[in-house]
Amino acid sequence: MPYSIHYKRLYTVAATVSWVLLLINSLFVNSSSYPSALAPYAPLLGKFFKVCFIAFTFLTQRVSVETYRGTDFIGYLWKLFIRAGSTAYVCALLYFGYLRYENNSPGSHPILLGSIYYLNYAFLIYFLGKAFYIWRNMILFQKTRALQYEWKWFEIVIYATLLSNFFPLYLPNFVPLLGLFLLYTLFLCIHLRWVAYLTSTKKWRSIFLLIGIILSLITFYNIFTNFSPHQQSTGNLFEDPFVMLTCTFVGMYTLASLLVAVFNLPTSSVFEQKREDLLNFQRLSQSIQQGEDEPHVYKLMFESAIKASSADAGWLETQDDSGGVSIIEAENIDLEEVEQIRQALDKYHVSAVEYVNNNLDHNAGFKALNLPWRSLSVTPLRSQQRTYATLYLLKDVEQGFDREILNVIRTFTSQTILTIENLRLVAESLQNERVKEELKIASSVQESLIPKTFPSDSWFEISCFSQAAKEVGGDFYDFLQVSESRIAIIIGDVSGKGITAAFHMAQMKGIFHGLMQDDLQPVEFMQKANNALTHCLERTSFITAALYIIDYKLKGFFFARAGHCHTLYYNSMTEETFYFNTEGLGLGIIRDKSYGKRIHNMHYDYNPGDVMVIYTDGIVEARSSNQDEYGEDRLREMLSNTYHLEADDIKAAIINDLNNFSGEHIHDDQTLIVIKFRNDQPNLIL
Amino acid sequence: MKITHEIKDQTFTIHLNGELDASSSVLLDEELSKPEIMLFKKILVDCDRLNYISSAGLGVFISHLQRFEDAQIKLIFYNMQDKVKNVFEILGLDLLMTIVSSYDEAMTIANE
Repeated sequence: MPYSIHYKRLYTVAATVSWVLLLINSLFVNSSSYPSALAPYAPLLGKFFKVCFIAFTFLTQRVSVETYRGTDFIGYLWKLFIRAGSTAYVCALLYFGYLRYENNSPGSHPILLGSIYYLNYAFLIYFLGKAFYIWRNMILFQKTRALQYEWKWFEIVIYATLLSNFFPLYLPNFVPLLGLFLLYTLFLCIHLRWVAYLTSTKKWRSIFLLIGIILSLITFYNIFTNFSPHQQSTGNLFEDPFVMLTCTFVGMYTLASLLVAVFNLPTSSVFEQKREDLLNFQRLSQSIQQGEDEPHVYKLMFESAIKASSADAGWLETQDDSGGVSIIEAENIDLEEVEQIRQALDKYHVSAVEYVNNNLDHNAGFKALNLPWRSLSVTPLRSQQRTYATLYLLKDVEQGFDREILNVIRTFTSQTILTIENLRLVAESLQNERVKEELKIASSVQESLIPKTFPSDSWFEISCFSQAAKEVGGDFYDFLQVSESRIAIIIGDVSGKGITAAFHMAQMKGIFHGLMQDDLQPVEFMQKANNALTHCLERTSFITAALYIIDYKLKGFFFARAGHCHTLYYNSMTEETFYFNTEGLGLGIIRDKSYGKRIHNMHYDYNPGDVMVIYTDGIVEARSSNQDEYGEDRLREMLSNTYHLEADDIKAAIINDLNNFSGEHIHDDQTLIVIKFRNDQPNLIL
Repeated sequence: MKITHEIKDQTFTIHLNGELDASSSVLLDEELSKPEIMLFKKILVDCDRLNYISSAGLGVFISHLQRFEDAQIKLIFYNMQDKVKNVFEILGLDLLMTIVSSYDEAMTIANE
């Protein structure tokens, strides 16, 4: 702070100058060589310089101590002792040095004597100033507004007493007033909150420093009562009310601090323990942010609980999901003893409940074990759903676990449960995040399995729609050009939803492309596919599929339906819309040769303008908010109304109607393919 | 979904009530997997109050079909709603499984 440094320098210079003037003034007076014109004013000047010196020294300290910040109380005491208290010993050295010198060379040495006296005087005032303001910081620690106000008045009164130098006062007249003021000082001296914040080692250190400071004060007092040369013009030092009051205040406060520190020593360990407990609670609750794992949390809890209860031994065992128990922490106890105690607890049926036994010798079972402990506490770490761990603590003495200690242990364990549960939640959500990522990948892989480019030619139009209820689905369709004039179209649905369905769907795509290389008839394909699936489909899964092989040269198509939804058809010659009600068993239901009897080859000749709609059950089983099904009839109705449109538009119309019917949410995968035959010359491009 | 069973005249009857979807089909599987069920020669499935059957539910019946057949246990469905029956028919299961319209009919077939 440039502002305060500026003032500090000014005050320091002013204090030094007034001290030099005070010294010169007194030396002149002593050597009787004072200029005669000023001689009558010599005592007044002396007093003036003294007051200036005291005031500026105090102001310097006032500004300089203000820069000390924080709660490093030992640092304050140390500064006071080293920088100011030690000057007392320098004074003593000077004093004894002078006495020795006087012995060796008898006679008077007024200049030396005066210089030493005023040097000592400067040291005293410096010490008082520093002590005064450091004690102010201590008193105002955790201040209130009232206290600040009280201190201000105290300071004003103290400074005001400086003026008494200029008015001859008869002190005994002021005894009652002085008494009151001393009581006020005493009142200020009881503000000793800072002592409570010291740890026991720090308390010991502060006691030594305070004793040092008191010794400095006593040294000063002794020097100045014994060493008071007549020649000095300041009057008897301790007759000065300012010095007297500040000395009293500094002495009182130092003594009070010392006493409080001494009497606080025995209880400080309790406070430290409480503070340690609090810190441990905090550490436990922060373990999640710090990325700690469960063993670390248990270890922290175990150590904290041992310390908080000052247990002599203990162990912590965790319980896994299957009820298996493993000891993860143990102190001052071996496995054999753990086993013995556990067996004894089992005998009393108290192994998994909160249990305290404050005199183990009263129980024959424990007494027989001849254990070195007398008290036992068992605390399970249990949430509503499950038990995570159990904490066992043992003590050498009877009645070792009182309510206070048990409360602390309980708080530790519940905090630990909370932390462990939160840790698991965090881990779970990370896992979920990972699964979601993987699903996204699966979804994009599956997306790539569904053909994006449709065969296009002038003799037919094709339009597809596909939507999975979850990230991945079990519906599939595919195309394959089997010969120049023939194209194979497959549509299918794997039972179930999600990942398993998606895997089987991918399998089915492989089977389709693998088998159709041989240009099979639909029935042959279904038989072989059923055979292939026998070994790669679990018993509860099955696949429904329909395969169409359209031949434009013959203007017809072969098809087989393996348990899949009926094909919807519009015949432009008869102007009829109908379903091909054919028989056919789903794939993977019968897993032997007899499947061949359950599937049939169909053939149909198409006319230009005919429309074929193939779909999965997600379409016809879609439900409205009233739980009505969309149904085959409604679908057929839609085609009767839209057959004249292009394939794309028919599809759009159906999907639109479906969405209006069922709302946005879909329960099952939906796939819809619309094929419309045309009369044009074929020029197939895939 | 509520699945209950009743044992009468050496016949094990399962009553299905509600929608047999992916989660409830697990319950059905548990019911059909009970070892004591193999002690009966006749298993009747009352579908009167079965409103919906998912592919997972069908899968459960399919997976036990072979096992019952091998043990010469008759599995008979009765009182099936048209909507549900349609699902069995589309998949072709009506030719593999015995589906009849009434309890009496089911008992007649069972006692053949």
